[in-house]
Formats: sequence, C-alpha cells, structure tokens
Amino acid sequence: MTALAADAHASGGKLWRMPRWLSAEHPFPWLAPITAMLLVFGVYPLLYAIWLSLHQRNRVKRVDEFVWFKNWVQAFNDQRVWDSLAVTFTYTGIALVIQLSLGLAIAMLLDQDRRGYGLLRALMTLPLVVPPAVTGMMFLLMEDGSFGWLSQNLYMLGIISPQNPILASHSTALMGVMLADIWQWTPFMVLIMMAGLRSLPKEPYEAAAIDGANAFQVFRRLTLPMMSKVIAVAVLIRGVDLFRIFDYVYVMTSGGPGTATETISAYAGRIFVTGNFPYAATLSLLTMIIVIVVANVFVRVFRVRF
Amino acid sequence: MASVTVRNVVKKYGDLQVVHGLNLGIEDGSFVVLLGPSGCGKSTLLRMIAGLEPITAGEVLIAERVVNAVHPKDRNIAMVFQNYALYAHMTVYDNMAFALDLRGTPKDEIKRKVDWAASVLNLGDYLERYPRQLSGGQRQRVAMGRAIVRNPEVFLFDEPLSNLDAKLRVQMRTEIKELHQRLKTTTVYVTHDQIEAMTMADVIVIMRAGVIEQKGAPLDVYDNPANLFVAEFIGSPAMNLIEGVAEAGNGGPAMRTKGGALLPLSSRFKVAPGRKLTLGIRPEHLTIGETGDIATEVSVVEPTGPEIHIYCDFEGKDVCAITRERGSWRHGAKVGLTPDPERMHLFDPESGRALEKA
Repeated sequence: MTALAADAHASGGKLWRMPRWLSAEHPFPWLAPITAMLLVFGVYPLLYAIWLSLHQRNRVKRVDEFVWFKNWVQAFNDQRVWDSLAVTFTYTGIALVIQLSLGLAIAMLLDQDRRGYGLLRALMTLPLVVPPAVTGMMFLLMEDGSFGWLSQNLYMLGIISPQNPILASHSTALMGVMLADIWQWTPFMVLIMMAGLRSLPKEPYEAAAIDGANAFQVFRRLTLPMMSKVIAVAVLIRGVDLFRIFDYVYVMTSGGPGTATETISAYAGRIFVTGNFPYAATLSLLTMIIVIVVANVFVRVFRVRF
Repeated sequence: MASVTVRNVVKKYGDLQVVHGLNLGIEDGSFVVLLGPSGCGKSTLLRMIAGLEPITAGEVLIAERVVNAVHPKDRNIAMVFQNYALYAHMTVYDNMAFALDLRGTPKDEIKRKVDWAASVLNLGDYLERYPRQLSGGQRQRVAMGRAIVRNPEVFLFDEPLSNLDAKLRVQMRTEIKELHQRLKTTTVYVTHDQIEAMTMADVIVIMRAGVIEQKGAPLDVYDNPANLFVAEFIGSPAMNLIEGVAEAGNGGPAMRTKGGALLPLSSRFKVAPGRKLTLGIRPEHLTIGETGDIATEVSVVEPTGPEIHIYCDFEGKDVCAITRERGSWRHGAKVGLTPDPERMHLFDPESGRALEKA
C-alpha cells in the first residue's frame, strides 16, 4: 500500500478532506455570499467615496491629486450647500409630519373588521408599487401650469393663481414636489401604523371605557403612548429616507425654480453630472454623516429599541 | 351601591345564540358569583352588565335604571379583568388615578383616594413603579385599586384570579372577600373555579350553555342541587351517580341497580315502584367498611392529608368514598360501601331534575 492510499483510507476514502470552516456547521459558508455583496456594493463604494473626497482631479496632469480636506472646506464655505440643507430639513420635517399624521389617521380609520375594509386596505397600498420616477412624472403633469388637472382645480378654488403655477413659484414648488412624496409614501406609514394598532392589547381600551375616557382621551392617553415605539421606528425609517430625497426633485423640478427645491442629494447629483466626482462624493458623505448623527440622537432621545 | 337586575337578556353573535333569556336579580351589597364551565355565557353576561357587549334583547338595570343604551363610563361600575388590563405606560399611581383624573377630580383629592386605596391593598411602596416591575399578585391588586378608588356602585370581576399561582389565589380570595365586607359594594364575580365560588359568594349562580341552572347560597346549592348538572358540577370529588329502578323494599322504598344491588332509600322519597331513577350521593356520605349495601373492591386510593379518597369500581363506574380513618386501604381490597339514606339525592334520569323530599 502506498502512502497516498493509506491517507485516503484514513480520511474515510476521500482524497481531499473539506476544511471545517467550509462545512455546513460553520457560519462562514452561510455568511460569505452576503458579506461578498456588502463588500462589493457597500464597503468598496464607501471607501472609494472617502478616497475621492480627499482628492481633486488635476485637469492638466489628468491625475487625482491628494488635497487633504480641501473639498470639505469648500463644502462648508459653499452657501449653496447650506441652502440645500435648509431645503432638505424643511422637506423632511414637513413631509414627515404630514405622512405620519395622515398615516396614523388612515390606519385608525381602516383598522376595522367591517365588510369591504380588507379591500380598502389592499387598495391603500397601491401607490407603493408605482416607481417613484413615474410618480414624479404623474404629479409633474397634474401640476402643470397650463393643463394640469390639479393646477386647474386649485385655480378654480382660488388657492393659487394661474400667474404663479405650483412648480414654477418659489413659495409653492417644494410643496408641489412634496405632494408626490406624500401620495406615494403615506401608505407605507399606514401599513406600519396598522401593524402597530393591530398588535395593541384590547383590554386597556375596555378598562378605559369603564374608567370613563372619551374617544379623544383614549387616543391621547392610551393609543399614542402605546404606539410610541412604533411611531419612533416609523419616523426613523421615513426620516432617513426623506432626507435622501432625490428622485421627485430630479424628475419634477431639477431643483428649480432657482434653487428653491434643491435638496442636498439633488445638489450632489447636479455636481456629479458636471463631472466633479470628488466634490459630489464629499456632499454625499456629508449627507450620510448628518443622517447618522441625527438618527442616533433621535434613537437616544426617544429610547428607540429594535 | 346599587342592585343589578337582568331581565330576559338574550345575546346572539350572528345566528349563534349564546345567552337565552336570562333573569337574575342581584341585591344591593351582595356578592354574587357566576359559576359555570367555559363557554357557558357567564363572562358574556358580565360584559353585558358592564356595557362592553351589546345586548341583543332584554334589559339590564343598575340601581333600577335601564342601562342598555348607557355607555360603560356612565354606568358607575368598575371592572377587574382576567389579565388585569393595566395601562403599561403608566405608573401604579397613574393607573389608579386615571379614572379620577378623567373626571377632573382635584389633584389633592385624587392623591387622598389613591393613597387610601394603596393602603387598603398594601401597595404603598409600589406607587412609582410600572406594571412590568410588579409580580402577578401586585398587578392584580393594582387592578383592584383602580376599581375601588372610584367608589363605584357595582364591582365586576372577570376571572380575576385565573392567572395567579395556587397559593396567591387563596390569599387574594381572602383579600377580595375582606374588601367586600369592608366596602359592601355590590359585586358580580365570574369564575369557573367552584372553590372560589363556594368560599366567596353570598349567592352562587350556576350557568350552563347560556341558561341559569340554579341560584342560591353556596351550601344550599351544595346540599340541594336542583338537577344532575349542578350535582355533578359542584363538589370535588364529584357526586356519585348510580342508575336504577325504584322498588318497594321491606322497610320502605329502595332502588335496584342495574347489577342487582338493592339500596334502601329514605322513606321521605315518594317514588312509585318501577320508576327509573338516578341516585346521587356525595363521597363523604358513603361509609366504607368490610361489608355494606354496595359490595365492591378498591381500585385507586388517593390520600390528600386530612382525608383519603377511595375510588371503587361499581358496575363499570367509579364510585368515590371519602374517609378520615387511616385504614390500610389498598388496590384490590374487598370493601362494602353504605350510603346514608338521609343524604341521598334522587334525580329523574330523563329531565335531570331533582326529586322533592317529603
């Protein structure tokens, strides 16, 4: 018997024994695919963006030169960055409050076991399946100053005048963009709120009925506090999402009129299109940092637990 | 304080009728226990009195006022739920103060009342805690505290002790009874536990399948069950039931069992010979000895401490006898059981009704 044959015999007849870390009992084979995906599509672009934000393209030498924090200093001195941040915070704040209140109100209305409510709940989720760019186009057409259905009706109601079309006026353009967002994403809030409402215990409501609470007191002193964790999570998810707003702005106004609807992502996108990748990367990183900081403060302050 | 009257109350869920025209009068200040197996409609009845469940037909009166269309909050009742139904996001103090606060009671009066309830229920040290930081028994006391601060006309308890362990249940049982003796508030208490019912009630109402089977003082119901259901339901171990036919015996009426044994009956029963009967005898009214009217052998012996439960096989059915004698009973021993004729119950096997004694 040769040495090789003896080895093969000892290992159960196989010439090559699989290492333990490749066997199904080891976590590695299970985690490897998603880890690889994250590395390629998450970590690498992030590191590349950081690398980019510390460089500038030398157009003469056609190389990226290391410039330390020059891009960052430029961003802090760029009034347009501050303006776009103000627009972003305004947009996020107003849209969040509206979507949250509407979402909770609609969820409470739909949270009934009456005939037909199942269908209503299903219909409610329809806006979520429309691609955001399509939603943007839809509202762009509806809000068009000359033939838009929504504009026509608002003219008739006297809420806006034909001299100042929604998306062309400095004061109303942001609201115009927000309408698309609210239409599309309120159903998401409704879904979360409905799931929360359904998970609430029934007995405290009966106890409150006997204790003498009216509908408003029940809402304020039972439903809201019991829903606070759900609301906090919903605010967090939607808040982060809203802060990155890009699609509706890009499709509907491209940041205009002037920079009235230019959010930080829209501004970064505009820079990106001009080919200044390092500065665009810097603004994207800035957005990310703000989101992380604000979200963490929120989690701490409202003691959100996942 | 107030009386509660239930008049011809019917409850239907769709086509399913679960309560069939109940009539019940609950006197002012009494402690009434609704007792019955699961699904007998006792909780539904309580919830209809509370106003949490709409009434299909009939009337509920609290303090002689029809309250069918009155909102729960305007019925001046307080309810303690099986799983306490505490407000998880409020402290013990706020839980108890909630109802008073909703009515706009002045802060110092709320504090006085909550402190009083806390002292009655030994909750003084827990007022700043949240329900999740309390044990089951403490939560139960908070639920009761929430009820008593309001000084309601009627207390409603919906199986309040079911979620507690056995020892705590006995303790809380006593506390609730003491509380009632102190406050003298009309109380309606729902349970499926007959020991709770027997120990706490002034009046037991036994329900089955949406109808009242019997109503009476605990010992009265125990000693004089109105029908076979009540006879079997009340008492543990359950009453022994033996089927047979009436005969004119030597010294008075007697009953011949299927297997041929002749059991003398009390002469106070007037039964025509040939009539089918079901004889009921409680285990403690069977004397066990070497010989007796029922010759049988021991199948299972269960010592409980104060007494010994002896199960014997008689004509294919288990018959239980209870003795306080420390005999050496063992499986397979030949014994005789003698029923006490004066403590026998006779039932009509068809209708289940108890036969009257003369």
